[in-house]
Amino acid sequence: MIARVAGAAAMLALLLAPVLASPYQLTLLLPAFAYAIALLGLNLLFGTTGLLSFGHALFVALGAYTAAWLTTRAGVLALEAIVLAAAALAAVIALPVGLLCVRYVKISFGMLTLAFGMLFYSFLYKFYLVTGGDEGIRVLRPRLLGQTFAGLDKVGFLTGPFYYYALALLVLAALVMRRIVRSPFGLSLRAIRENPDKAAFVGVSVRRYRFYAFMIAAVFGAVGGALLAVPTGLADPQLAYWTHSGNLVFMLLLGGFHHFLGPVVGAVVFIFLQDAVMSLTAYWRFVFGALLAVVVIFFPGGLLGLLARERPA
Amino acid sequence: MLFLVAAGLQLVFGVQKILNLACGSFYALGAYAGVSAVTWALGHGLPAPLFVVALLAGGLALAVIGPPLERLLRTIDGRDESFQLLLTFALVLMLEDVIRFVWGPAPVQLRGAYLVYGQVTVAGSTVPVYNLFVIAAGGVIALGMGLLLTRTRFGRIVRATAENREVAAALGVDMRRVYRRVFTLGVALGTVGGALVIPATAAVSEMAIEVIVDAFAVVVIGGLGSMRGAFAGALIVGVLKAGAIATWPEVEMLAIYVVVIGVLVLRPAGLFAGATP
Amino acid sequence: MTLLEAVDIRMFYGSVCALDGVTLRIGRGEFVSIIGPNGAGKTTLVNVLTGLLAPTSGTVRFKGEDVGGVGPVRLARLGMARAFQLVNVFPALTVGETIAVAVLARLGRGARLFAALAGERRVWDEVRSVAELFGLGDTLARPARTLPQGDKKLLDVASAFALHPEVILLDEPTSGVSTADKHAIMEVLVQAAARLGIHSIIQVEHDMDIVFGYSDRIVALHQGRVLADGRPAELQANDAVMATVVGRAHA
Repeated sequence: MIARVAGAAAMLALLLAPVLASPYQLTLLLPAFAYAIALLGLNLLFGTTGLLSFGHALFVALGAYTAAWLTTRAGVLALEAIVLAAAALAAVIALPVGLLCVRYVKISFGMLTLAFGMLFYSFLYKFYLVTGGDEGIRVLRPRLLGQTFAGLDKVGFLTGPFYYYALALLVLAALVMRRIVRSPFGLSLRAIRENPDKAAFVGVSVRRYRFYAFMIAAVFGAVGGALLAVPTGLADPQLAYWTHSGNLVFMLLLGGFHHFLGPVVGAVVFIFLQDAVMSLTAYWRFVFGALLAVVVIFFPGGLLGLLARERPA
Repeated sequence: MLFLVAAGLQLVFGVQKILNLACGSFYALGAYAGVSAVTWALGHGLPAPLFVVALLAGGLALAVIGPPLERLLRTIDGRDESFQLLLTFALVLMLEDVIRFVWGPAPVQLRGAYLVYGQVTVAGSTVPVYNLFVIAAGGVIALGMGLLLTRTRFGRIVRATAENREVAAALGVDMRRVYRRVFTLGVALGTVGGALVIPATAAVSEMAIEVIVDAFAVVVIGGLGSMRGAFAGALIVGVLKAGAIATWPEVEMLAIYVVVIGVLVLRPAGLFAGATP
Repeated sequence: MTLLEAVDIRMFYGSVCALDGVTLRIGRGEFVSIIGPNGAGKTTLVNVLTGLLAPTSGTVRFKGEDVGGVGPVRLARLGMARAFQLVNVFPALTVGETIAVAVLARLGRGARLFAALAGERRVWDEVRSVAELFGLGDTLARPARTLPQGDKKLLDVASAFALHPEVILLDEPTSGVSTADKHAIMEVLVQAAARLGIHSIIQVEHDMDIVFGYSDRIVALHQGRVLADGRPAELQANDAVMATVVGRAHA
């Protein structure tokens, strides 16, 4: 009940944010929304299925590059088309990658996903003609539902129409993911996380289900990446670097991977905290490293795990 | 010198089953410490040709961070290995800023020391003697590690622990002490590696996260937890890198990851699985 | 009619021979116990029968299909289920969810992405009836890890039974349970099997009271070979077998 009221209040606050909050805070919320979508996917792998990916940034970068490439090189400006293309491309890439990765679990899975992420990174970095090399590719302002909003400047566009667009996409993504987690499929994934051997003996095709989860996670990652690229205005290889994958996992852990909304909370808190700490000290990595260590050692349930008692998602 | 980092990674993984992402940070720390030690020693009248001693001392001195870090990691011993992985990632972030704090954000390098020993011509190309020295040092350390692991009491204990920690514990091996020493040894391998390589290049704070990826490639190719594998893997990665740079620079990193993924897929245990840990 | 058949199974671990030419046929409606001293190869045999291990040589057929090493998922589809010696549950899932995983897998609905789990009427009805057969009807909403040991064991078996298999293999169903509870568990098991239409039960068991009390047939293994195979009365009459197998099992 309390959770429901808190959720409604948070939703209301997000809806009214363009009126209440400063443009600066809003421009921080945008990447947080994008990350939240990507993390919903990551959490299906880690929180629900029990696979820790250290290469999720691959798909975020893939989405961002799709947006960059389509807007600057192909002249496609409709964000709907961009998001769908990112999702489709992610599915195509995740097909072979997922088939290989789900053969392994635990550390081996993490290492293989890391290797694929770095493979993509070096591709982005070295193939200058296709990817713009280390400078990346710019992302032009997309059209939202056919509208260009030519009358608005960049900040006005981002904090106005785009804000609501991103929020709507996040809500949609969350609803879809909620449906997935609460479906028979979601239950089968949790059974795999808890005890893969036993799951196999009651007829769950462990590897196949892990593969499905990997595909879904990839699609969410790419959609988040496409959305992330718009406010950033740039897709660069750093998006695919392994430390970026690490940060994604960090956000997830911060929010709480036991909880369905952990990814959203984690993304928002991480972005704002990063901003605050960076303005205080140049050594924000140290602070964040220490914070991650504290979370891992003392609060593995994350923020939501602190608020509610442990309740698996 | 990738071998040293990879060897440290192997040692810690083999014995403690922790994949230490922070070993690249130790390498970077060693590099910076090496620069500082040499600068200080030369400033105090150390004859230039002896700078290597200062270098090694700097690298070794840093190994003191081993025990406290090991203690930190042990707080979550027994929990899911994903968390241990994340904790080492936290260390990566922290150590990177420690370096920035102590040595500043600009690259640091040792000018001149590199060529103190002069150059020689080997097989038609000019090679600084120092490079040969580093290669020799790598060989010596590899040999030393091999002897340590196979011939000494400590080595036997370490190998027994790697095989089966429960049995080793039941036989009265003090796990904590073994872990602490192994981890520290792993740290030392990384820091010495970093210190040795620094005269030939410059220390930048990003080197930590870059070298870990190479070390990781070495480890995967060579097989997790295998010392011989680390050596072979380092050779393969080194040759691959050099070859790719010479022929088609675009694919340098790409080639490495293709090999890594190929190995993971075809021989998940690595090319040298089952060799001495 | 033979349901499950293993012919001349040999199994080597390196140079160690765990099974040395075991032949075994299990018919519809039989309750067969596999007994033998530790190291006789019982667990290996069960692993081979359930497709977890491919035998070094020999064939395993289930309903006429070669199932050597096909893996547990395929076997579950075909109608063979297994419960483990050690308690094997999904710690964080509730009792109801645990059984539902099996029911969903049997109905081929486990991969449904967008269906609401809560809306699967038929599944939950079945979960409830299976849980009630095992006396777990009141604990549906409890996480499995909070159950007492005996109930965990029952839950493990219940989720295997929920697959409506034709054959079920039980690896020491009563190990780790107090003597007083053993018979209660066996009663529940046998009745549930009858209610769910499970034709054959194969169990590995050390407790001779249970073995002789419930089995139609007993197979005694010793050093990787079948030492004896017959009705309980026949085995009891065979002093040599009783001394080798039962004597050591009790030692």
